[in-house]
Amino acid sequence: MTSPHSAIALESVSKRYGSKTIIRDVSFTVQKGEIVGFLGPNGAGKTTTMRMIAGFTTASSGRVTVAGYDMATHNQDAAHKIGYLPEHPPLYDMLDVSQYLRFVARTKGVRRSEIRSELDRVAAACRLEAVRDREIYKLSKGYRQRVGLAQALLGKPEVLLLDEPTAGLDPGQIQETREVIRSFGEQHAVLLSTHILSEVTLICRRVAIINQGRLLAIDSPNGLQRASEQTSRVTLTATAPADALRSELLSLAGVLGVAIQEVPGYPRMLNVECQTDAREGVEAAIARAVAGRWDLHRLERQQPTLENIFLRYVSQAPGEVTAP
Amino acid sequence: MNGMVAVYRKELLSYFRSPIAYFVLAVFLVGTGYFFTYNMFMTGSGSMTETFRNMGILLLTVSPLVSMRLFAGEYSGRTMELLMTLPLKPWEVVLGKFLGAVTILLLMTAGTLIDLVPLYLFGNPQTTTIIAGYIGFVLLGMACLAVGQFFSALTHNQIVAALITVPVLLSFWFIGYLQIFQNSYALRSLFGYLSFAFHFADFVQGLIRTEGVTFFVIVSAIALTLNASYLQWRR
Repeated sequence: MTSPHSAIALESVSKRYGSKTIIRDVSFTVQKGEIVGFLGPNGAGKTTTMRMIAGFTTASSGRVTVAGYDMATHNQDAAHKIGYLPEHPPLYDMLDVSQYLRFVARTKGVRRSEIRSELDRVAAACRLEAVRDREIYKLSKGYRQRVGLAQALLGKPEVLLLDEPTAGLDPGQIQETREVIRSFGEQHAVLLSTHILSEVTLICRRVAIINQGRLLAIDSPNGLQRASEQTSRVTLTATAPADALRSELLSLAGVLGVAIQEVPGYPRMLNVECQTDAREGVEAAIARAVAGRWDLHRLERQQPTLENIFLRYVSQAPGEVTAP
Repeated sequence: MNGMVAVYRKELLSYFRSPIAYFVLAVFLVGTGYFFTYNMFMTGSGSMTETFRNMGILLLTVSPLVSMRLFAGEYSGRTMELLMTLPLKPWEVVLGKFLGAVTILLLMTAGTLIDLVPLYLFGNPQTTTIIAGYIGFVLLGMACLAVGQFFSALTHNQIVAALITVPVLLSFWFIGYLQIFQNSYALRSLFGYLSFAFHFADFVQGLIRTEGVTFFVIVSAIALTLNASYLQWRR
């Protein structure tokens, strides 16, 4: 059994369709109370992984457990603990929003006496009050997405699986949907798939990066940033003689290379880009060295963005992947 | 059990929220009304026997319209993923849907009861024969719906589901008539036993035979079991 705290646990899970392997040896866990972002380009295997956790398909090998239940043998027990929003919200267009939610609540075993309050709760959480009696086919895309989200929340499941919950929404709707999801984080274990990077930094505590069916990294956004900072860059602008500045910088410990350009229109003013290693305080040493002898106008350390990290991970060939 | 009831209610709501149920009811009742009027007033028969025969054939072509959406509609509406990940057992889904369709069948059947008014006013019908005929009609309808529901689970397209179901049901109906081409006793009995038409004919004559009842019940049970196993296998 997995530890009692793992709401979702995958142990070397693979999924094959015929001779094609869609998911290769993926392992990770999601704990209660955290939102984990599941990041990858289209076709990376996010949806397949989500479907295996939700119990829509089974793993070809390895083990998926949700709330301690093995999905291969106890998927019925686990289904009570899962709220799942598939990529396309699964809505019955001809029903009213409340008829639809009532149907889902009943199948999830919400007690008859509690259905009304449960519907009120999810409608409030997903801001659906205005459309509760409207037929679903009349709703806008944003509302449809939120009805799908409300459906997943019914019955207070331990685990929420949200497959691209903000895809196709306008910026205002994205903002609102994110707020809603963020508010779930405390009571549920949330696995959120997306290919929007900023979404992950905004709402997720940890990020799993997947490509071509392989899990490439799983860490906090900051952790991923640190791990990829084996080399980083410091840029500065100073008024100084180029040769003296170059030899001064290269004499500092931690500076690996220096590139100097003149600032057009300003004689003797230089833009400098230093390649440094990851040691602490290297930019402070550079600042002291330059400012002690010449005029230092600007100095900054370039943080690698999550975007760059992501691109680096997904552009690596499968063989050269090293988990940080 | 609760899950099955929830699915059943959803199916009924969906039927009456879309034009299908009304359309099917209307087509069936207009058709039956026509046959009844013809049999009663043109040929002067004072019984339901002929009308039941016509209703049987009409049912073969109308019931696929009721069953075609049951699963194909879930696939094309992308709701299958929800249905299969909710805490529902496959048999709860299958039976809930089946009972929803059977309810439409019962409504169709109930609609034809109006024919009995002129029958009893102007004719001298045998009540027991009529009851037997109705029992046979509902059993036949259940078998047709169960078969149609199974084929609906095999395709994402409702029209395809109906187009497969109609010829299959027609073959089951007409297979008995192949008897005359058979010399072998075994084949003759087999074709006779598989025939929807022959079993239904017994009911129409007023005979409620255990053989007939079990036949339709078994056909429904096999189709529904295949349906549930298919859903299980698809995971």
